[in-house]
Amino acid sequence: MKWQRSPSKLLLEGPHVEILISTTRPELEEGQAIGLEYRQLQVHALIDTGASLTVINPQIARTCKLLQTDWNRITTVGGMAGSYPAYAAAISFPGSDLPGFDAIRVVACPIIEQPFFSCLIGRDILRKWLLTYNGPTGEIEVNAHQ
Amino acid sequence: MAEENPLEEELRVFEAHRSEWLLTHTGEFVVIVGPKVVGFHADYESAFKAGLSAAGLGRSFLLRQVWAKEPVYLIY
Repeated sequence: MKWQRSPSKLLLEGPHVEILISTTRPELEEGQAIGLEYRQLQVHALIDTGASLTVINPQIARTCKLLQTDWNRITTVGGMAGSYPAYAAAISFPGSDLPGFDAIRVVACPIIEQPFFSCLIGRDILRKWLLTYNGPTGEIEVNAHQ
Repeated sequence: MAEENPLEEELRVFEAHRSEWLLTHTGEFVVIVGPKVVGFHADYESAFKAGLSAAGLGRSFLLRQVWAKEPVYLIY
């Protein structure tokens, strides 16, 4: 997946992508087979090399009825620290050939002062990607690592 | 209070076994449903499938990597 913004827009907004987030694929398949309905949300996600794991706004977990699987301790650069619920989710990337994730951990923690983004894509996802950030041209390229 | 503190029972089971599991399962994902240890897996996705299969739809379960101390994750 490759896209381009103006260098100044990339500087201002950072690299971000549209993602679809929902309950995990195994739950979807099992639940839909017995008539259950699930919501899928399309949100803006910032590719954040400073985040060690992927974070969502708590409202997404509630809306999509994500299943909690753990609690994780998080510290932010501003010193905010705490234990936050971790959920299992499916994440995909509409309009791209980037492979999605059928079941991946996301942690629900308010993303403060970032109303544009509802998700931070952290290094747990980046671990599976090759990411090229071209500041002078404004071009971003993401490829799945084989 | 299960709604306010989900996974409380599973976390107690985890802490009771952490030292023992560190000897043989460091870095693996353990799945715990209520008081029952379902198993250990190398990756999150297969652990999740095992947990879902054991717990059934809509029931939370613990899926945690076995480390000596819980990591503190940094978000910048």
